[in-house]
Amino acid sequence: MAALESQEMVTITVNDVDLQVPKGELIVESVKRLGLEIPIFCYHPRMKPVGMCRMCLVEVGFKQQDGTVRKMPKPQAGCTLPADNNMVIYTDSEMVHRDRKGVLEFLLINHPLDCPICDRGGECPLQNNTLFYGPSTSRFTEVKRHALKAFPLSKYVTLDLERCIQCGRCVRFTEEISGDSQLAFRFRGASMQPSTFQMHEFESKFSGNVIEICPVGALTSSRYRFRARPWDLATRPAICTNCSNGCNIWFDYRAGKMVRINGRTNEAVNEEWTCDRGKFGHDWYNSERRLKQPMLRKGDKMVPVSWAEAYEAILQACPPSAGKMGGLVAGTVSNEGLYLFQKMLREVFGSNHVDYRWTRNRLSSSHPLSVGANPSNKLTPIAAYELFDSALIFATALADEQPMIYLRLRKGWSSKGTKVVVFADRPVEEKGFAALTVHYRPGSEDHVAEGLLKAGLAAGKVMVPGEVREKIEALSFDRIASFCDVTEGQFRQAVDLLSGTGVVVSSQSLLDLPEGVKTLEILADFSNGLGFDFNCYALGANDEGAARLGVLPDRLPNGRPLAEPGLDTAGILDAAARARISALWVVEGDPISRYHEKGDVVLALENVDFLIYQGTLANETANYASVILPMEAPAEQEGTYTNVEGRVQRMIQVVQEPGDAKQAWRIFGEILLRSGHSKPYFSASEVMEEIAQVVPSFGEVTYDRLEGEGLHLPLATSTDVLSEVN
Amino acid sequence: MGLLKDVVKPILGGMTLTARRAANLGKNIVTIQYPDEMREQYQRSRWRHYLTRYDSGLERCIGCSLCAGACPARCIYVEAAENTDTERYSPGERYAVRYEINMIRCIFCGYCQDACPTGAIVLRKDFELANYKREQFIYTKEMLLEKYPGQNLEPYRSKVTGVEAPIYTG
Ligand code: SF4
Ligand code: SF4
Ligand code: SF4
Ligand code: FES
Repeated sequence: MAALESQEMVTITVNDVDLQVPKGELIVESVKRLGLEIPIFCYHPRMKPVGMCRMCLVEVGFKQQDGTVRKMPKPQAGCTLPADNNMVIYTDSEMVHRDRKGVLEFLLINHPLDCPICDRGGECPLQNNTLFYGPSTSRFTEVKRHALKAFPLSKYVTLDLERCIQCGRCVRFTEEISGDSQLAFRFRGASMQPSTFQMHEFESKFSGNVIEICPVGALTSSRYRFRARPWDLATRPAICTNCSNGCNIWFDYRAGKMVRINGRTNEAVNEEWTCDRGKFGHDWYNSERRLKQPMLRKGDKMVPVSWAEAYEAILQACPPSAGKMGGLVAGTVSNEGLYLFQKMLREVFGSNHVDYRWTRNRLSSSHPLSVGANPSNKLTPIAAYELFDSALIFATALADEQPMIYLRLRKGWSSKGTKVVVFADRPVEEKGFAALTVHYRPGSEDHVAEGLLKAGLAAGKVMVPGEVREKIEALSFDRIASFCDVTEGQFRQAVDLLSGTGVVVSSQSLLDLPEGVKTLEILADFSNGLGFDFNCYALGANDEGAARLGVLPDRLPNGRPLAEPGLDTAGILDAAARARISALWVVEGDPISRYHEKGDVVLALENVDFLIYQGTLANETANYASVILPMEAPAEQEGTYTNVEGRVQRMIQVVQEPGDAKQAWRIFGEILLRSGHSKPYFSASEVMEEIAQVVPSFGEVTYDRLEGEGLHLPLATSTDVLSEVN
Repeated sequence: MGLLKDVVKPILGGMTLTARRAANLGKNIVTIQYPDEMREQYQRSRWRHYLTRYDSGLERCIGCSLCAGACPARCIYVEAAENTDTERYSPGERYAVRYEINMIRCIFCGYCQDACPTGAIVLRKDFELANYKREQFIYTKEMLLEKYPGQNLEPYRSKVTGVEAPIYTG
C-alpha cells in the first residue's frame, strides 16, 4: 500500500454509511473497511494506481452545506480517487452496475474467450468479474482482433496477446517492484501491447510474479502450461528452500506430484512475491533421480535393503563412541533434522567432526562475524530494509543471493530514497537504482574494503581502534587502486553517500574468497565505525538454523564452545582422504559440485572406509556410498526452517514422500534409539520441544507460535554465551 | 384350532394367489429374453461415454478438464498437452494426452457431457458394461475415443447377439 502522506482523518459516506478514513486513502481501499469490494483489474495494492481499466468505477458526490448531496455527473475510478471530507460514494447504485457491465463488454470485445484452454481459467479475475458484474451474453458479432498467441517471452513466461486487457500491471511490476524495466507498452489504442524492448528475452530474476498478477491469462507460466486446471489442484502452504530468505509459498500439487509454486503473503518476509529460482525451482520433487529405497553395498553392487538392515550395517561398520565418524550436511535439512544430526554424531559416534559450511574459509563460531546469533552480525530483518537512509551492498549479487532483501531495498529506495552504494565485480541488478555502483577487479575484495575504511577515516566519519587505524593509514590510495582498480574519488564518493541510518550487506559467499576473512573483518570495522548495522548473511535455506543449533565442530547447541573442537569441513575431508576417520555421513547436496576443491572431495569419498549418503536425489556422491539412505524433501515432511534473518517458519507435509524415504530427523532419531542413546521421538514437534530447552535462542519456539508470520529469533547477546561458559 | 389357523389357512391363501396368476398366464409378460431380445431405451438414456471426433477426424476434446470439474463423482482424470504442427490431435493449442473415467464410480448423471465446451464427451446407449475385474472399469482414452466420427451413433446393438435396442418413441 502506498505510504500515506498524512494521518489526518476525514469522514466519507459509503453507501449511506459514515466512515472515518485517513485523508488521501484511495477509495478502493476505504470501502474494504466496510467489507465491500470494488471490482478491479489494473489496481494493485503494492503498486501506484494508474486508472487504466476503468473497472473500479463508482458514483461520487459531495455533501453540501444544506445536507444535500451533489453528485458528479460522471462516474469516477475508485482506484485513483483519494478520500476527502464530505465525499459520498455509491458502489452499488444502478448507474455503477450499468457502467461495470459496459466496461466489461468493452474489455470482452477483443478477448478471445478461450477460457477452456487458458491456464488462468478457473482463477481468472476477468472470468470472476464478468460472472459477478458483467453481461451474460455478447452483442458483438464483428471480427475479433487477432494477435500473437503463445509467444514465449522467456523460458518461464508465455504471452498471449489476444487475452491481454492492457491493464499495465506487468509493465508496472517490472518498473516499480523488480526494477528491471523489462516490459513496456508498444503502440497505442486497441493495438497497445506489453512487450520487451525490441522483442528480446524477458530477462528478470522475478519474472514469475507477473504471471500471478496478470488479471487475465495473457501471461502464463511456460512450466505450468497445460499441466492442470485450478480445480485439479490441491494446495498447501509451504516455505521455499531454494535460498536462505525463506519465502512463503503455496505448493500446488496434483495426484501427489508438485505442479507449481505461487507466492503466499508474509509481510515480514516476501510480501507476496517470489523469485524465479523459487517459483520455478521445485521441479526436482518429481525427478526420476529421487531416492526411494535404502541401499547397501554388497560386493560391488548396491542392493535394496530394509531400513533395519541399513541401520544395522551402519552401527556395525561405525563403532559407537570411537570418534571416527565425520558428518557433513547441507542447508536444506530442517531444524529438527540438523539438531538430531549433531546430537547423533556427538552421542552415538562420540564425534565432534560435524559441519554444514562449504565455503573455502570458515569463521570459528566464536568469531563475532559468523552467522548464528552472533552479536556483531546484526541479521537486519528483511522488512527493515524499507527504512534505511543508506546502504552499502558489498560483493554480493543481491538479487541472486538475497532476492527478498533486494526487493525491500529497492522498495526503500523508491519510497524513502535510500541511497544505495554497490561494490561488485560483475554487472548487478542494483545498478538500476544505486546512487553509486563501483566495479572492482574480481578477487580484490580485501583491498576494496581497505579503501573504504581508509576513505571513511579520511572523511572523519569512521571510528576504529588505534591499531587498525594505523595499519590502514599506512596504505596509500594509489596502492589500493593498483590492486582493485577503484580510485580514491570513488571511495570518497561512496563514503559521502553513506550517512544517516544505514546498513552494510554482504553474504557468506565472501568466505569463498581466499582473503574472505580479512575482507569481512575490515568491512565490519568500517560498518561499525560508521554506526551502521553490519550483516553477513547465510546462503543456504537453513544455514542460519544450522549455526544456531550447533552443527559445528567447535560449538554445542547450547552455545558452549568446545575446548577440543572437532574437525571442520576441510578437516573432515582431509581426515577422510588420509583414512584418519573411518566413516563419513553426508547429508543432502552434492559436495563434489559444491566444494571449491572438487579433487579434495573425491579423494575423501574414495578413501573413506564407510560412506553414508543420505539425500533426496541420486548424484555423483551417491556413487561412492556404502549405504544410501533416502530422505524426504522439505515439503514432504514436518519441520521448521530458520531463514536468513533468524525467523523460524513451519513446513507441513504437503505431498507424500517417494517410496520408503524418511524424514531426516526420524532417521537420526532411530539411530539414537537403536543405540540406546535416547527415548524415541514420535513427532517433529517433540524434537522442537527438546531444541527449545537446549538452544537458548530457540527458547520461545513451539509449533503453535509459528502460525502466521513465523517467529523471529532473538540475536543471542554475548552474555548468553558467557553465562553458559561460566 | 391352532393347526387350522396357523398352517392350513396361509397355505390356502398362498395357493389362491398362485392360481390367480396361473389363470393370467401368457398375458402382460414383462420379462424379455435378453440378449436375444433387447429392451427399448428412452431417447435420453445415458450409458457408456465416448470421446467424439470432428468430421475431419480431429479429436474434439481439448483437455480442458471442465468435465472433471463438473463430475460429482470425481471419476474423470484429464491430462492435457500441447499440439504441435507435426503432431496434431485436435484443432487449437491443446489436447488430452490422458483421459480416464472410472466407470465404477460414475453415476451416469451426464454432467460431463453438459459441461464439455466442444461436445467431445458424450454418453451413448451402450449399457453392457459388465466386466470381471475392477481395473477393467477404468476406461482409458483409447477405449473412449471413437475410431471414426459417428462410430457409435445410436441405437445400440448388443455386443453378444447384435440385436438392436429400439428407441422408445412413446
Ligand atoms: S499482459 Fe496481463 S498484466 Fe500485462 S497488461 Fe496485459 S492483462 Fe495486464
Ligand atoms: S456421467 Fe456424471 S458421474 Fe459419470 S463421468 Fe460424467 S459427470 Fe461423472
Ligand atoms: S471432454 Fe470436453 S470437457 Fe472434458 S476435457 Fe475434453 S473438451 Fe474438456
Ligand atoms: S482498477 Fe481502477 S481503473 Fe483499473
